[in-house]
Amino acid sequence: MLCDQCKMNIATTHIRSSVNGVVVEKNLCSSCAAQSGYSQFSQNGLVNMLAGLFGDSYSIDSSKPNMRCQCCKAAFSDIAQTGKMGCSNCYTIFSEQLFPSLQRLHGKTKHIGKIPANAPSEIRIKSKLEQLKSDLKRAVSEEKFEQAAKLRDEIKQLETDDNI
Amino acid sequence: MGKWYCDSGDSITVSTRIRLARNLEGIPFPSRMSVVQLQEINEKVVDALMSASDEFSKRLNVIKMDEIDDITARAMVERHIISPDFASNRNGRILVVSEDETISVMICEEDHLRIQVIRPSLALQEAYDIADKIDNLLSEKLPIAFNEKLGYLTECPTNLGTGLRASVMLHLPALESLGEISILAENASKIGLTIRGLYGEGSGSQAALYQVSNQVTLGISEKAALENLLSITQQIISREEQAIKRFDDVTIQDSVFRSLGVLQNARILTSAEMMKHISKIMLGQRLKYIKLTDKNLPIKLLIETQPGMLALQGEVDADKRDQKRAEIIRSGLK
Repeated sequence: MLCDQCKMNIATTHIRSSVNGVVVEKNLCSSCAAQSGYSQFSQNGLVNMLAGLFGDSYSIDSSKPNMRCQCCKAAFSDIAQTGKMGCSNCYTIFSEQLFPSLQRLHGKTKHIGKIPANAPSEIRIKSKLEQLKSDLKRAVSEEKFEQAAKLRDEIKQLETDDNI
Repeated sequence: MGKWYCDSGDSITVSTRIRLARNLEGIPFPSRMSVVQLQEINEKVVDALMSASDEFSKRLNVIKMDEIDDITARAMVERHIISPDFASNRNGRILVVSEDETISVMICEEDHLRIQVIRPSLALQEAYDIADKIDNLLSEKLPIAFNEKLGYLTECPTNLGTGLRASVMLHLPALESLGEISILAENASKIGLTIRGLYGEGSGSQAALYQVSNQVTLGISEKAALENLLSITQQIISREEQAIKRFDDVTIQDSVFRSLGVLQNARILTSAEMMKHISKIMLGQRLKYIKLTDKNLPIKLLIETQPGMLALQGEVDADKRDQKRAEIIRSGLK
């Protein structure tokens, strides 16, 4: 099909606009579409490939279409479109919808590693214990028994401290 | 400490970079924040950094990004202090940078805070320790957004967890000409690392410079991520060392000295041509065919004759810039 406007190039963009109930349909080539201000179509498709990751979670959101984050006012549809979160609270509010995508993105969904100074102490101790236990496992499998004994003592110490 | 590109030496590893993404609780991320919130974060972060009792805070400069021009911003990107995104969106933005440009903190780039440390050669632990120290200092004074399960919370979910992106810049002329980079990239991706060309289109590179970095940030500790990266970097280095042995000595010497000839004599040098020849000089240095009194000269010249860096010296016109580039390199390699 040729472009409705220039009648020279192949039409690649189909535009259907509805203004006050009047529907107009046009088939344009990419350069005429750009001239008419529709160039962002192609860009939008590439804006964020990440946005595609949230695709299947999007349907879950349709059951709660009005849910918005109190802090940044983002709806899940905003996040799904841009691939970007609105604020740190969004992770809690939309956790259910985000979960499958995060798993696909990182392969894992549980943080291991540094914890900031402002985190509650129980989180800090719990994480330290997890780290020590995984180090212990590794030390044993690598037959580093001296190191393993030290780690075991450290774990014991931390667990007793925690109980007090 | 000096600027990274003035101290890179003659090794395969040119530089090491660590970047930590951090955000503050209760304030929308940069793409959804108001001007007032942007100012609030600017003030909080600058206060926290400048009031630190630590020695390093005395060496920090606060730069208002909307008060600098495009050329200065571009030259900062070329020196790897800021990202291209931060250079193009400077409205109300603030950069805190140390005098030697080792440390830079971009406020409200993609995240509220991007802490970056860049060091010459292979120095992952050293660079991480510096970034970690700044991060600790900030988290003592600011409410850093963190979730027990997801770790550090970031605007883009790809950075969740540690928020750590560690990278090393490697000079790999032999592996490149043998076409082995794509095989390496494939293997690296299996353990959550990526390899990409610097200074080039797509995956290629004009100066055989490649960046290896970690991709996965959730479910892996900082220590493990750094160890993985170090181990693959060491493997790549030894492969490059092996690969160069497959070339005939005289052939390498010929191309090295031809490049030296061009750089010592050319009156006009485009950026692409300069990078191609500098890469050969770096190889010649590594193989001890060329001994320069300043062993850091090649990479220093490569950075200092980038378009933005030359424009900073007043050479805005493209033709004049190529002449100026040739002049600087000629006098450097005299």
